[in-house]
Amino acid sequence: MEYDENGVSIVSNDFKKEIFEEAKKDFRYEEYVRGCLNCGVCTGGCPPHRFFDFSPRMVLQNCKSNDPALVWGMMDEYVWACFQCFTCAMICPFLNNPGGVIAILREISVRRGFESAKKVLKPYSRVLLKLTAYGNQLSPDMIQPDFFPDWGPHIGYASEDLPLKRKAIPMPTLQVTNLAWDVAPEAMKELYTIFEEAGVFKIIEVVDPSLYEIIQDIVDDVRSE
Amino acid sequence: MAENILVIGGGPAGLHAAIELAELGVNVSLVERDTFFGGNPKKFKYKYLFPDLQPAENVIGELIKGAESNNNIKKYLSANIESFKEDGKKFSAVIKSSTGSETKTFDSVIVATGFEHFDPAKDSKYSYQLFDDVIDIKDLERMMGEGNFTRPSNGKPPKNVAIILCVGSRDRHVGNQYCSRVCCTVSVKQAIELKEHFPETEVYIFYMDIRTYGFYEDLYWKAMEEHDVQIVKGRVAEITSGPDNTVICKGEDTLLRGPFEIPFDMVVLASGMEGGPQSPEMADKLGIELDEHGFLKQANVTLSPFKSNKDGIFLAGACTGPKAIADAILEGGAAAMDAYIYAKKNS
Ligand SMILES: Cc1cc2nc3c(=O)[nH]c(=O)nc-3n(C[C@H](O)[C@H](O)[C@H](O)COP(=O)(O)OP(=O)(O)OC[C@H]3O[C@@H](n4cnc5c(N)ncnc54)[C@H](O)[C@@H]3O)c2cc1C
Ligand code: SF4
Ligand code: SF4
Ligand code: SF4
Repeated sequence: MEYDENGVSIVSNDFKKEIFEEAKKDFRYEEYVRGCLNCGVCTGGCPPHRFFDFSPRMVLQNCKSNDPALVWGMMDEYVWACFQCFTCAMICPFLNNPGGVIAILREISVRRGFESAKKVLKPYSRVLLKLTAYGNQLSPDMIQPDFFPDWGPHIGYASEDLPLKRKAIPMPTLQVTNLAWDVAPEAMKELYTIFEEAGVFKIIEVVDPSLYEIIQDIVDDVRSE
Repeated sequence: MAENILVIGGGPAGLHAAIELAELGVNVSLVERDTFFGGNPKKFKYKYLFPDLQPAENVIGELIKGAESNNNIKKYLSANIESFKEDGKKFSAVIKSSTGSETKTFDSVIVATGFEHFDPAKDSKYSYQLFDDVIDIKDLERMMGEGNFTRPSNGKPPKNVAIILCVGSRDRHVGNQYCSRVCCTVSVKQAIELKEHFPETEVYIFYMDIRTYGFYEDLYWKAMEEHDVQIVKGRVAEITSGPDNTVICKGEDTLLRGPFEIPFDMVVLASGMEGGPQSPEMADKLGIELDEHGFLKQANVTLSPFKSNKDGIFLAGACTGPKAIADAILEGGAAAMDAYIYAKKNS
């Protein structure tokens, strides 16, 4: 994929239009995009706005512009800056939902396997693997400096001597570091059914085909138990 | 025999209507729920009025004097309409006041029950009532009317003041989609008054749109040109406590700075106008309609703005929507004419 000077992937105008139409066809779009006073109250309350060049006001304005190029401009890095906290929706005087619009755009990006989606979701492959293998989202052994830089300067210390630290926790634990709690196989099987019905497996197949293969092996194993 | 006309509400609109009718020889009953006449400008001690910064006393004081000195006006204070019914083309009302209840027949009625200020505590992002130094325009109007321009928390002059527009207006979350029309001009006026009192104080106005319509624009220009009031486009998203007894306004400056968090000594919320509880109360008692904004409904907003949907009952002033005193007085006169014509035809 080629990129312009703003880091936005270069595609044809027809493709930009197609993506914008797909967003507008989403059943939530009409509810999320109403009018916009350009007041900036959403952006004022938006946590990432303090750190990045990202603004829910611009999300709404770009949508209202009806210009597919402006909407496409958000599909790469931009949509992934949002925390999905929905502060914007809580305070917008027009009852818009910029965070909801972001969710719609992200879903398109994931469904279509865009590069930005693949890149952003990469770190989550460990979580997905853990989830499908053990029904746990996070376990102590996943705490590693490379993956949790946002935990601050103490992450190095936090990730050392895990078995010992586990023992020091003054409440019953499983005394292992690869599990937080035990999940029954029945629950796991139900989880797979939900994943199947909700299209989660299909998404994984698009975004990370090799992860999909590993996960399918695990699913088959558990199901045949 | 002279006509009998009931005027409910003794603010600028009701006072002017009553005086005009009395001048025509009508027997007017002026019913006011408060212990005084003059409406919101009196209640909140407005000192100087936009657009020309003349003393409020020139206007409100004159109206009150005019009504009090006119013997054709029977004045009821601390009063309310206890019951009301149609009686052919006429109306029969029980007026209850401190002196007891009186039943009277009227040829026509003018409702001029005005507005209530939006209570900014209803919108939690502004932290009104949480911090002493967060006040609203009616509080500041009253403070300035009492000659007090200082910070409520410590009585010292504020180093900087933020004025936030559209509080409780143009916001679906609080249920008021309309613009309150006067708060931009009131705020610009207050900014000028603050600067005249404390030239060293920095005054910021945070706005979505500045709506100093018509000649009120002069004040807006004056605020920038003569007083260097900072006009920032962006609605404040949150007010929190800051260092050294300040309050922090957080928001987006949509044109210049991007995200900002500025500590202020004092914040003034430009809370808007609402139909208040009196509008539905009047609609209910008199059998007239409310509009979708919570004010009393005009028969035709363009053709007959002073008529209610019921023959013989007329409307004047802020009870039909936010407006300035000049408009309220104008409408008082116009409704008086309509009510007089109706009474003349049917008495
Ligand atoms: C902070 C602020 C500052 C302002 N400054 C200016 C200014 O400088 N210049 C300007 O032109 N305009 C100004 N305005 C606008 C001005 O306040 C209104 O235009 C004006 O008060 C409207 O007059 P009114 O008579 O319609 O209503 P009100 O002033 O609200 O009077 C209504 C009266 O009816 C009475 N009443 C209510 N219900 C009942 C009932 N059920 N029975 C009997 N009586 C009842 C009330 O007690 C009140 O006395 C300002 C508004 C605000 C919010
Ligand atoms: S949902 Fe996204 S856009 Fe909205 S306030 Fe949160 S981070 Fe900002
Ligand atoms: S808060 Fe709503 S109206 Fe204001 S800029 Fe954001 S999306 Fe537009
Ligand atoms: S007059 Fe100004 S402050 Fe008041 S609601 Fe309208 S735009 Fe907002």
